[in-house]
Amino acid sequence: MTRFILRRLLLALPALFGLLVLTFIMLRVLPNDPSAALAGENASPEQIAAVRKAYGFDEPLWKQFVIYVGQVGRADFGNSIISNRPVVSDIAWRMPATIELTFASLLFAAVVGIPLGTMAAVWHNSPFDHVMRVVTVGGLAIASFWFAIILQIVFSMELDWLPLRGRFPVGVDPPANITGLYLVDSLLTLRFDQFVHALAHIVMPALTLSLGGLASIARFTRAGVLETMQKDFVHYAEAAGYARKRIIWVYVLRNSVVAATTQIGLLFGTLISSAVAVEAIFDWPGVGSYAVSAILTSDYKAVLAVTLIVGVIYALVNIVVDVVHALLDPRVAESM
Amino acid sequence: MKRRTFLMGTSAAAAAAAFGMPVALAQRKPDELIWADQLPGSLDPHAVFDVPMQGYMVNIYDTLYVYQSNPPKLVPWIATGHTVSEDGLTWTFKLRDGIKFHDGSALTAEDVVWSFQRLLGIKKGAASAFLPVLDPANVTAPDKATVVFKLKHPYVPFLSATPLVAIVNRRVLEPNIKDNDWGTAWLSSNSAGSGPYVLDPATYQPVQQLDMKRFADHFMGWAHNKSPVEIVRRRNILETTTRINALIKGDIDATDSYLPTDQVERVLASKTATVSKDESMRVMVLRMNNKKAPFDNVNYRRALSHAFNYKGFISGVLKDYAVRNAGPIPANLWGAPTDLPPYEYSLDKAKELLAKAKAEGAPVEREIEIHIQQHLAQTTQAAQILQQDLRKIGVTLKIVPNLWPQLVSSTSKPETTPDMWVHWVSTYFVDPENWIGQMYDSQFHGTWKASCWYTNEKVDKLLQEARRLADQEKRKALYEEASRIVVSEAADIWIYNTIELRGLSNRVKGFSFTPIGSGADFRILSLTG
Repeated sequence: MTRFILRRLLLALPALFGLLVLTFIMLRVLPNDPSAALAGENASPEQIAAVRKAYGFDEPLWKQFVIYVGQVGRADFGNSIISNRPVVSDIAWRMPATIELTFASLLFAAVVGIPLGTMAAVWHNSPFDHVMRVVTVGGLAIASFWFAIILQIVFSMELDWLPLRGRFPVGVDPPANITGLYLVDSLLTLRFDQFVHALAHIVMPALTLSLGGLASIARFTRAGVLETMQKDFVHYAEAAGYARKRIIWVYVLRNSVVAATTQIGLLFGTLISSAVAVEAIFDWPGVGSYAVSAILTSDYKAVLAVTLIVGVIYALVNIVVDVVHALLDPRVAESM
Repeated sequence: MKRRTFLMGTSAAAAAAAFGMPVALAQRKPDELIWADQLPGSLDPHAVFDVPMQGYMVNIYDTLYVYQSNPPKLVPWIATGHTVSEDGLTWTFKLRDGIKFHDGSALTAEDVVWSFQRLLGIKKGAASAFLPVLDPANVTAPDKATVVFKLKHPYVPFLSATPLVAIVNRRVLEPNIKDNDWGTAWLSSNSAGSGPYVLDPATYQPVQQLDMKRFADHFMGWAHNKSPVEIVRRRNILETTTRINALIKGDIDATDSYLPTDQVERVLASKTATVSKDESMRVMVLRMNNKKAPFDNVNYRRALSHAFNYKGFISGVLKDYAVRNAGPIPANLWGAPTDLPPYEYSLDKAKELLAKAKAEGAPVEREIEIHIQQHLAQTTQAAQILQQDLRKIGVTLKIVPNLWPQLVSSTSKPETTPDMWVHWVSTYFVDPENWIGQMYDSQFHGTWKASCWYTNEKVDKLLQEARRLADQEKRKALYEEASRIVVSEAADIWIYNTIELRGLSNRVKGFSFTPIGSGADFRILSLTG
């Protein structure tokens, strides 16, 4: 298994380097020179040239790239050209918010999606299955911003059950910073008041973000369960008199959920990219909203760092998924 | 705590949040204001100068003069007044006594000198307003309460530009200077001011959140405000719908000042909030690159000026929350000729002028481009309205999405400047120089404000003369004459002067709008309830 994990880690490196090259080229080859905007109101061409020199934008592109790769190799992502602060510290403040939101959505999608998919398979072609099909297709098709606004209007504006926006009430001290994940940190410090605040704030954004994932997990599980139920071992178990519940929820599910697990790994990427919109609507202080501001201001170091860090997390999550996959189905590890 | 208690607490909390029991929402504190408007990209007032920075600077820093009320009046602030020499070159400012920085040290003439030298040394932000007329060595402090500026040549708008320069605390900054950076890396997330509020650097997150506390020792005192705001929490809520919902719900006390016009009625209908509607000084312009054919033909430019449906845009899209502006100077500022008729929307006239331009050899069939600012919906709407009407007179307009940094960078040369692009000219300082002076004097070619590449020697002379004369009546006549020429030559298409629409909760009292800082002057605000 160690060899398997190492191999997967090594395979991720060229992919990440490719991501770095691609992002750098996209950001710097397209006409994208922030110098004039940085030089300020009505700056003269000389002032702009001075800014260009100060940031090294006057160097040949290959040289800029080599310098940048050298910095990244030393885990130095440089300073934001706008805020003048190390981009790593700005991202470090925001990343836990995005991770917390993404994992909460993923958890919700899996915990609800897998049982729903299983039930739809067990009662396939029943009214429940038909309703599920409509709901899951709807879940995939619905625009998340529309769903988010409906949630806000109903649960926050009309019923006043949940907070409209943000990650924590303004002016209230957030949980002690241990992992940066408010739900976890408040539990670790046994501050249930803080946990309630954190949970109340995450419900609507996590629900919105999980919608598409929930639908596809449910559909993949349904397909997997249906297929497994045709296998001989199921018929054998039935013949041997095992309880139907036990057959489905233990034997069938374990053999069907492999497809859904792979899906979860892929979903993580989709979730992080959808988080950009969800974070903006719910004013969730994550990297999504940071990336949007950085793109609008051509803050290319911030954009590069966000892309690369999200890329690393995505690669790691997929490695974990592969490991889980291998644990569920030992043939996978052997084939590598 | 036992595992069972722990689990019970967790489940109870989870159940409360998930199954619709109203969660105990944090109560708003009575002396705490939440202001949801854009934040400046960085906090160094000498490195950045834009509209969000004005709203920050006016609270954290003090300046020689400030603008107050609307229309804005220039009033002495840390200065008691000033004198100008006969030749218009030497400006002497006397300072008040007893001004303290946030660290308790005294603000003296030395600090004013150092602040101007720092601005000129960094050469960013508001520096462009001073670089052509002021050398760092020519700012001096003969004594603790006197600052003297010797200009290279007479420049009357100098006084109206002094509110652009924050006075910073040299003693706080100097230990934080690295690699001759004037301490700018440090000041980007810290403060060194004397203003009515102090930044809390611990909770600051760029573009996201910024907290400030009241500075009880501010030199103007607090007698004017019986219940001042103790803590201001500035939050940048990206999504407009969320911002407006938050205001109506009572989560925040103020939105930005550019509410979408279709949301105004909704806010007004709520019992919790209102909208402050203030005529600002911010002109929307469709730029035309006068150096590129067919825009180098005056009749072609006039044709386009007649092809824009001004009323349709202002009434239809903006619900009349804007005032038609005939020329480059905002209609509510001196220097804008009151009798100058704006271009009227007439496709017949446009056709006629187009034919004339064609007869003069202009390539009127060429497809032209207009660059819009992707994230600002109004720029798209204006471009689409123009596109529809131009199609009727046989001109094809292509709409190209773009972003501010790229647009500003493209305007450095006529060849790279788009055929047309859309932007606003906001108030950086209240003087016609901020609009017509910097937009149409050919000496500013290569800057975004002068990106129409208009050249007219007579206009150049009028504007140069206007910068030199001390008498405002004489200057007014010159600006009016220059306006008439620029408008008759249709250098650009001027659309409207902005009415700023800021959502305010009913708790906020004492709001007073000024185009500079858009009313984000927390010193005069108080909260009820």
